[in-house]
Amino acid sequence: MTEAFPGGAIEEARAIIARYPAGRERSALMPLLYLAQSIEGYVSREALRAIAALLQITTAEVEAVASFYTMYRLHPTGTHVIGVCTNLACKLRGAVAVLEAAREATGVGSSGHGVSPDGAFTVHEEECLGVCDHAPAVQINVANHDEVTPERMRELVERLRAGEVPTPARGPAFASFREACRALAGLEPAPPTPGGGA
Amino acid sequence: MTDEPVTLTIDGKEITVPAQTLIIRAAEQLGIEIPRFCDHPFLEPAGACRQCYVEIEGQPKLATSCTVRVAPGMVVRTQETSELAREAQVANLEFLLLNHPLDCPVCDRGGECPLQDQALAFGPGESRYREAKRVYEKPIPLSPLVNLDRERCVLCARCTRFCDEISGDRFIELFERGAGERVSIAAGEDFRSPFSGNTIQICPVGALTSETYRFVARPFDLTSADGVCPHCSAGCNLRVDVRRGQVVRHLARDNAEVNDAWTCDKGRFAFRYPDDPARITTPLLRDRGLEPASFGEVLGWVADRCVGSRVAFLTGGRLLDEDYYALSKLARTVVGTNDLDHRRHEGGAVEVWAASRPMSVAYADVERAPAVLVVGLDAEQEVPILHLRLRKAARKGARITVVHPRRTRLHDVAAHVLCRPGEEASLLREAVRGAGPLASVVEELGAAGGAGVVLAGERCSSAGAEAALALARTAGARFGYVVRRANDRGALRAGVHPRLLPGGRAVDDPAGRAALAPLWGDALPSTPGRGRRAILEAAAAGELDVLFLIGIDPLTDLPDGALARRALENVPVKVVQSLELGDLEPFADAFLPAAAPVEKAGHVTTWEGRRQRVEPVRGPVGLSRPDWEILAGLAAAMGGDLGFETLDQLDAELERVLEAGLGTPDAGAVEPFVGPDPRGGEEAPTAADPGSLLLFTYPLLVDEGRLSARADELKAALQDPAFVEVHPDDAARLGLAEGAAALVTTEAGRAEVPVRLNEHLAPGTAFVPFNNPGLVAGTLLAGSFWIPAGLEPATVSRAREASA
Repeated sequence: MTEAFPGGAIEEARAIIARYPAGRERSALMPLLYLAQSIEGYVSREALRAIAALLQITTAEVEAVASFYTMYRLHPTGTHVIGVCTNLACKLRGAVAVLEAAREATGVGSSGHGVSPDGAFTVHEEECLGVCDHAPAVQINVANHDEVTPERMRELVERLRAGEVPTPARGPAFASFREACRALAGLEPAPPTPGGGA
Repeated sequence: MTDEPVTLTIDGKEITVPAQTLIIRAAEQLGIEIPRFCDHPFLEPAGACRQCYVEIEGQPKLATSCTVRVAPGMVVRTQETSELAREAQVANLEFLLLNHPLDCPVCDRGGECPLQDQALAFGPGESRYREAKRVYEKPIPLSPLVNLDRERCVLCARCTRFCDEISGDRFIELFERGAGERVSIAAGEDFRSPFSGNTIQICPVGALTSETYRFVARPFDLTSADGVCPHCSAGCNLRVDVRRGQVVRHLARDNAEVNDAWTCDKGRFAFRYPDDPARITTPLLRDRGLEPASFGEVLGWVADRCVGSRVAFLTGGRLLDEDYYALSKLARTVVGTNDLDHRRHEGGAVEVWAASRPMSVAYADVERAPAVLVVGLDAEQEVPILHLRLRKAARKGARITVVHPRRTRLHDVAAHVLCRPGEEASLLREAVRGAGPLASVVEELGAAGGAGVVLAGERCSSAGAEAALALARTAGARFGYVVRRANDRGALRAGVHPRLLPGGRAVDDPAGRAALAPLWGDALPSTPGRGRRAILEAAAAGELDVLFLIGIDPLTDLPDGALARRALENVPVKVVQSLELGDLEPFADAFLPAAAPVEKAGHVTTWEGRRQRVEPVRGPVGLSRPDWEILAGLAAAMGGDLGFETLDQLDAELERVLEAGLGTPDAGAVEPFVGPDPRGGEEAPTAADPGSLLLFTYPLLVDEGRLSARADELKAALQDPAFVEVHPDDAARLGLAEGAAALVTTEAGRAEVPVRLNEHLAPGTAFVPFNNPGLVAGTLLAGSFWIPAGLEPATVSRAREASA
C-alpha cells in the first residue's frame, strides 16, 4: 500500500498527522485539507482519497467535512479567492452590488465555480463572516475586508492584479489563496519555486 | 450521577423510570406517542429531525424529547397537553414536507411510511408553501441493492448513524450544509457493506429504497409470517413477506435478545430461492428416467432398498430441529445405523459440550463482556449479527482479540493475532501456561470475573476448540462454540452425529442409550458410526448400499469434492431429499421434494443454543413436504414407527428429550475423544517444501450457495469472482503479482485463480473463498479445510506445458 499526497507532499502530510496523539490521527483531517488546498488551489478528488487512505477513514467521511465547510473549495480556483458575504446584514448594506462589482472587475461569470479567464480570480458568495457590524464584508485569500463598497471592490481587484497585497481589516494578509491555505495548515511559507506561482 | 430510579410527570401522569432514560422512552411506557423520525431505540440520540418537541416546565424553550434524559420531579407536557408543543410539531412537519415531493402513490414506502403516517396523525394537512420544490436527480444507486432519493429525505441521519455506530462501514455521510445538505457517497465508491440493507429498513421516509422491492408490492398486498433467517447460525428474526404466493421481501424483526433491529444483506436479499425455477416439487424415480412418481411409490422404493442394507445419511446444516430429530431417530431405531453426519468441521469434545447444553453464551453476554477472545471465526462473513454484537461490545469498552489466519473486519475495534490454520491449539495452550502473544488475554479474561467470553469458531479444529474451552475454564470465562450454518447446533443437539445421541449422550455409553430407551426402545446400535469423511470413503469403496443426502450437495458443500464424486459413482443407491437436484441430477436414483424453510413450522437453534420458533408464511409448494414428515413416512414404509404423526407430538417428544432431563453429561466429564475421521484433530502440517503454502478456505458471506440462488443484486453488490489471497512476502518469493493468475496445486486438484495481495494474512498461508464464482474450493481439498498447496504464476506453468 503506497501512500501518496498531491504534489508529493507526503512528508508534510505525515508531519501534520504526527502532531496528534496516537489513535487520534483523524484530528489531522482539517489541516490536511488545507495542505491539499495549498498545493492544488482546491481539494481534488485525488486529495480526498489520499487523505482518507492516510487517516484510515472512508472517502465519504473526508468529503463530508470538506463539503460542509465553505473554506474548502472542491473545484479549481484562481490565484486569488474573493468571497463576498451575502447573508442578511451584508445584503441589506449592498453586498449584491459588491458581488457584481467583483465579478465584473475580475471577469468571473456568475454561474458555476467560475475562475476568471486569466486564472487570477475566483469569486463566490460567502456565508456570514462574523463582522455584521462592518457589513458588507469581503474575504480575500482568507483575510477580511470591512465595509466594502463596489468602488473599493474594484480598487482591491486592481491592486491584486498589480501584484500588491491589500492590507486587511485585521490579521495577516496573504499574497495568494494557496499561501493562505498553507498558513492555515500550520506550515511555514513554502520556499519560492523558480518561475512558479502567479 | 446516581443510578437511582427517577420519578417524573408526563402529561399529568407520574412514572418512575431508570436514571438516564430519555423522555421519549418514558412517554412510550405511559402509552404516549410522541412523533419522531431520527430517534431509533438502537441508535444514539441525535436530535436531528426536531419532530419530538415537548414542553418541560421551568425551561424557556421547547426540548427534543429524544435527546433529553429524565430528571427527578421533571414535569413534561407533550402535544397531548401542551398547545406550544403541538404547534411546534405541526410547524416542524410542515417544514420537513416543504421540499418533500409527496409522491407517496409511486413510493415503495407508501402505506408503511413513518412520514406519511405521522403527517396524517400530527401534521397540518395542508402546506402554505407555494414555491418550486428542490429537485435532485433520482434515484441514485448507492450500490446494486440500495437506491437513494434525496428529494424524499428529511435528513434524520438514521442511515449515516447506523453506518457509523453499528456497522462501522462509513460509506455514506451527510455532505454539504444548510439547504444543500444531503446524504451522499464518495464519487466512484459503492456502499459495499454487508449491512447496507438495514439503512433501507430504518429510513423513516422513502429516501432509501431496496432495488429488490422497487415497485413490487403495497403493504396491503402482502401476507407475512415470523421467520428466522435460514442462512447462518445467527438466528436473525425476520418478517417474511409473500405477494401472490411469491416471497418478495425479508425484513428484520426487532429482537433485542438476538439481532436487535438488524439483519445482514444476505438474510435480507437472498430470499428468492424458494421460488427458484430449478426447484423440484414432485418426487422422482430414476428407474423410469427420473420421472415424477407419487410419494408412496418413491418411499416404498427407497424403503425396499434400505431394509437390511448398509445405509448412511449426510445432511446439510439448515434443517429444523424437528427434521434432525426425526432423522436421528429414524437412523437409530428403524435403519439401525450410527452412520449419519451433518458436520463440515470436527469439533471433538466440544461437540459433546455443545450438544449437551442449551445455552452458555448469549448475545447479551457478548455485549456485556469486558474481554472477548474470538478464535477461528471471521464473524462478519460467517455470523454477521455476532459481528455487530462484538462491535457493540467494543463500543462499550470491551477488549476484543481475534485469533485468525486473516485479518477480519473487526480490525478497527479488535487486536488480531494472525496464525496459521491449525496453529490455534498450540497458541491457546501456550497462553494457558502464561506465555505467548495471548497470555495477556488470559489475564484480561480472568480479571473480568466470569464475565469474559471465549468464542471458538467451528473452523479451529477439534484440538483448537478443545484448547479454547480449556482456556475459558482456566480464565473463568464463558465459552461459546460458534457453528456456521443456520441449524448446525440443532443438528448437534438432535444427535445427527456418528457418536452422539440427542443431548450429547455417546452412542457407546449404555447409560445414554438407557436414558433414551423409553422413547427410542432398547435396540439402539452401540458402536460409533462413520463420520462424513468415512461415509464418503465407504461409499467410494463400495461398502455402502444406500447414500441418503438431505439438504446437501457433497460435490460443492464439503471439503471432499473429488472423494464425493467417487462416492456418488460407487454407491448403488443415491437418495436426494432437497429443494432441487442441481449437480446431483446425474447421480440421484430417487428424489424426495422437501419444503423450503419459509414453508415449515418448527424450531431452529442459534449458535448460542437458543431455540427459536419459526412460522410458515405459505404451505409447501407442489408435493413438497417438511423433511420430518418425509422421514416419518419412510419409517412407516420400512415397517417402523417414529412415534409421532403431528408436529405437536414430535415437538413434545423433542422437548422431553432435550429439556426434561434425559440427563446431560456434567461439564467436567467432557473428555477429549479422538475423532474417527482423519485430520479432524490434527495440527496443520507445516509446509516442508518452501514453494508450498498452507491453503485454507471458508465460505464468504455471499457465495454461490444454493440458498443465494437468484439473489443477483446481492451478488452484484457484495460478491467477487474467486481469488487467491497471498501475503506480499510470499508473493514476492513465488513471483506472484496482484491481479495475475496463479496456478494452485494440491494433492486433490488444481485451479487457476487471480492473485490478491493481503498484508494482513498469516505468512506462509494462502486463502481462497470456498465457493465464489470460478472455483469450487472443495475440489482442491482432501477432507480438511486446509491443505498444503503449491502456487506459481500461471504463465510459468503454461510455458512449461507448452515446452513439454
